[in-house]
Amino acid sequence: MNPVQWLRSRFRLWWQARLRPSDHHHLTQRNVYILPTAPGLLLAATLLVLLLASINFQLNLGYALTFLLAGCSLVGMHIGHGTLRGLHLQLLPPPAHFLDVPSTLTVQLHNPSTQPRYGIGLALQAQGLWSWTEVPAQGSAELKLAWAAPQRGRVRLPLLSAETRFPMGAFRVWTVWQPEATALVYPRPETPAPALPTAQAEAHSGAATALTAMPEGEWDGVRAYRRGDTPRQIVWKKAAQAMAAGTSALVSRDAGAPNKAELWLDYGATGLADKEARLSRLCAWVRTADQGGLNYGLRLPSQQIPPGSGEAHQRLCLEALALC
Amino acid sequence: MALFPKLNRLPREAHETLFVLLVVAWVLMPQVAQLQAWTSALAATLLLWRGYLALSGRALPGRWWLAGLLALTLAATLLTHRTLLGAEAGVALVVVLLALKTLEMRARRDAFVVFFLGFFAVLTQFFHSQSLATAAYMLVAVLGLLTALVRAHMPGSAVPLRAAARTAVRMAALGTPMMALLFVLFPRVAPLWGVADAAPRARSGLSATMSVGSMAELALDESIAFRLRFDGPEPQSGTLYFRGPVLSQFDGRRWLPLDDTAVAQGPDGLQVQGAPLRYELTLEPSTHPWLMVLDATPQAPSTPALQATPTSDLQWRGKADTQNLRRYRAQSYLQYQYGPRQWTPALRNFMALPSGKNPRTLQWAAQMRSEPALASADASALSAHVLARLRNGEYSYTLSPGLYGEDTADAFWFEQKAGFCEHIASAYVVVMRALGVPARVVTGYQGAQRNAIDGYWAVRQSDAHAWAEIWQAGVGWMRVDPTAAVSPWRVGEATRLAPPRSEVVKLFTAVGPGLWTSARAAWEAANNRWNQWVLSYGQGTQMDILKRLGVASPHWEDLAYLLAGVVSALGLLGAAWSAWPQGRRNPWQSLLDRARKRLADSGLRLPPSATPRQMAQAAKARWGEAALPLNQWLAELEYWHYGAADDAARLARLRKKWHKLPWPLKQPRTVQRAKA
Repeated sequence: MNPVQWLRSRFRLWWQARLRPSDHHHLTQRNVYILPTAPGLLLAATLLVLLLASINFQLNLGYALTFLLAGCSLVGMHIGHGTLRGLHLQLLPPPAHFLDVPSTLTVQLHNPSTQPRYGIGLALQAQGLWSWTEVPAQGSAELKLAWAAPQRGRVRLPLLSAETRFPMGAFRVWTVWQPEATALVYPRPETPAPALPTAQAEAHSGAATALTAMPEGEWDGVRAYRRGDTPRQIVWKKAAQAMAAGTSALVSRDAGAPNKAELWLDYGATGLADKEARLSRLCAWVRTADQGGLNYGLRLPSQQIPPGSGEAHQRLCLEALALC
Repeated sequence: MALFPKLNRLPREAHETLFVLLVVAWVLMPQVAQLQAWTSALAATLLLWRGYLALSGRALPGRWWLAGLLALTLAATLLTHRTLLGAEAGVALVVVLLALKTLEMRARRDAFVVFFLGFFAVLTQFFHSQSLATAAYMLVAVLGLLTALVRAHMPGSAVPLRAAARTAVRMAALGTPMMALLFVLFPRVAPLWGVADAAPRARSGLSATMSVGSMAELALDESIAFRLRFDGPEPQSGTLYFRGPVLSQFDGRRWLPLDDTAVAQGPDGLQVQGAPLRYELTLEPSTHPWLMVLDATPQAPSTPALQATPTSDLQWRGKADTQNLRRYRAQSYLQYQYGPRQWTPALRNFMALPSGKNPRTLQWAAQMRSEPALASADASALSAHVLARLRNGEYSYTLSPGLYGEDTADAFWFEQKAGFCEHIASAYVVVMRALGVPARVVTGYQGAQRNAIDGYWAVRQSDAHAWAEIWQAGVGWMRVDPTAAVSPWRVGEATRLAPPRSEVVKLFTAVGPGLWTSARAAWEAANNRWNQWVLSYGQGTQMDILKRLGVASPHWEDLAYLLAGVVSALGLLGAAWSAWPQGRRNPWQSLLDRARKRLADSGLRLPPSATPRQMAQAAKARWGEAALPLNQWLAELEYWHYGAADDAARLARLRKKWHKLPWPLKQPRTVQRAKA
């Protein structure tokens, strides 16, 4: 790497480390920056030529024109700075989503002053794809920025940048903003994913909803007694055993549990070696299982999620996969 | 009408382009008068073409088209102006480039080039005119360009043009103090390098020679030759003789000045009497070197840049300036004597007459000479005799005396018996010379009109006049105005032989008799102020300001230091203002804070979160009835904040009331301090 680039990247890192992350960014004198642009330098050159012409042709009105434009540029500099200064930016973090699916960051711009603010652009610092808006006086505006997370997990939101070249384009006024919120990014679901593993008739202990082999030879779910269970639901055999053991815990048959085989999605049984690939496949399986309305559990090296189904269960599983 | 709905359906980009084209057309319009016909035609065609493309939504022409047009323009400029670098060729190029660039407005960068070329085109117009009207016109142009520039920097907004225009006007308004500061303090220096001459703005005005008809031509010219303002008492208009060229050689038709070799340096034996008239004179651009001053001015008109030198004819000459106003101060004495008191051979120059011309006049002179009463008369007695004939001989003063023959003096004295001041003065001098009196014609301006609005006296080209001087032993040169003998009101009165009036003037006169005069007076006063304050502002004025500020020997570097100091001070102030959040806090909060502080001063301390209602309750508990006005104010403040409409007038009323609010119990500060 050439030393200039190295210095530049060091500087950028140091700079970003200085930013205090926050979801609410209030733009003040201390975090709004301003520098002339290339057209600004062109304007300066034009002013110089106008001045030279005024001197050489001794044109008093030429002086007046040159100085009026200089005054306008100076006022324009203040107006441009004022366009950002005093603005409040509020970030609405993006919902949890899969890796490689673009999501949107929503930024609300609030203008407390009595003057409207025009030509405000927002972009991800790294991308520089600007979307523009204006904020009415004492009003708000909303901008949506497309963003693709770089990895799965709890991902820090990217650096944002707001900028304006209003009113003359001679100055670039900008600010850099590190949001505090993070986004939860699930692994990328494998496509096409292999078929779900077959359900296993396996008795596992330890969970609140244990699977018990019934004497009739059919699998049924039992659970702890809940108020309102009818006497027919109570497993009286168990109750007798429990009474004998000196406790009074009643156990009921679980009528809600589908009467079918349960599915375990196991980190160790994906048939893949790479961790990310395994998670990808598990992720695809979770989605397939959920779409099929199956009852499934998830077994990861660090944790195990007992079988279940429904929206909340799927989210729990995906979260576990994202943070694995 | 059918055009407007179509305009509304156009995309925003097309709207913007059409507006830019409109502004560019406005900027280029006044150039048409100065440009070659092909340049104007080409620029107009290009703009119309671009407008058509924008309206129809067609693609812009390719680069080869533009390159071809550019090459064509360069060739045409080279052909018509023989150069690409002179002022005229440069202006033509700027105009065509500006029009051409509108066809290339693709990226934002192209738009910038259009704007900046536009500003340059505005400047080139000042080569031709810097009048008040031009300034107003070009101010509109600059605001238009700024509006377009601002509009280009409002991406993602559908706001109307009005918002952009408002920002542009605001920028210009706030930039004006900066402009004024720089205008006043920026050091004026001489041109940095030689430039090709711009077209002269000067009018010819008074001529260096006088032939029949030259003054009558000027009588039709109502434009102002110069203005002056008297410091002390103001003289009568009839006594104001501004001296121009003195003409002593006569070839029968034309009067010429003496050869330069015959001119000695400085006026001979000038003696002045009485109190001087002090005045400041602003000369319009002129092709002639003479500096108009009143008779007689012993000391050089001020301002070293003028390089004023005296002539033996009591005239002052400087350097001609065809571009700029020249302003100078002078001191003149209406009573004076000058010229050789004793006969010198040089006076023969003023007695020569063309041989064989004006025989009847010569005969008349000889006849007068032979009259016993006049045999030994001196110059003034002879002059009185001639003037008596002018007065009583049914001579008349007219702008169109008819055709004069070869013998112009004969024609005036014996045939037409009518003429303009040049005929009268010429005929008078011829007869005086024939009588053996040294005499000559003096041209210049006579009289002035005072503008009641600003107190400046204006001297117009139509005030140009010719009179005579005769030499008398023991006295020197004496002024004689023979026109006054023919037409006393020509000299001294404001009424003149009026040129035929234009339709506009007739219209004004029809509405109200005095309207035209007063409208013209107001317009000329505005123009004069413009000339005095803006156009004639220069190094001299700057040095005067420095002297007034206490700099003993000002130099332009002092000005640069002053400018740098003021600008940095203002810059610091601006930075401090930006860093100071107080000024931009919301008015509700600041008023509430003020009330809370004031209450604390009076001994009632409240937490910063106190609402107006809480404040009012606390005040009532503390002071009872005495707190009533304050409580009313607080209630009003609350209503303003939570009320439906954001009412600026009500806020202003609240602020005003705050200052008049009777405070229930204000403890003297000394007591508080003592407590602390």
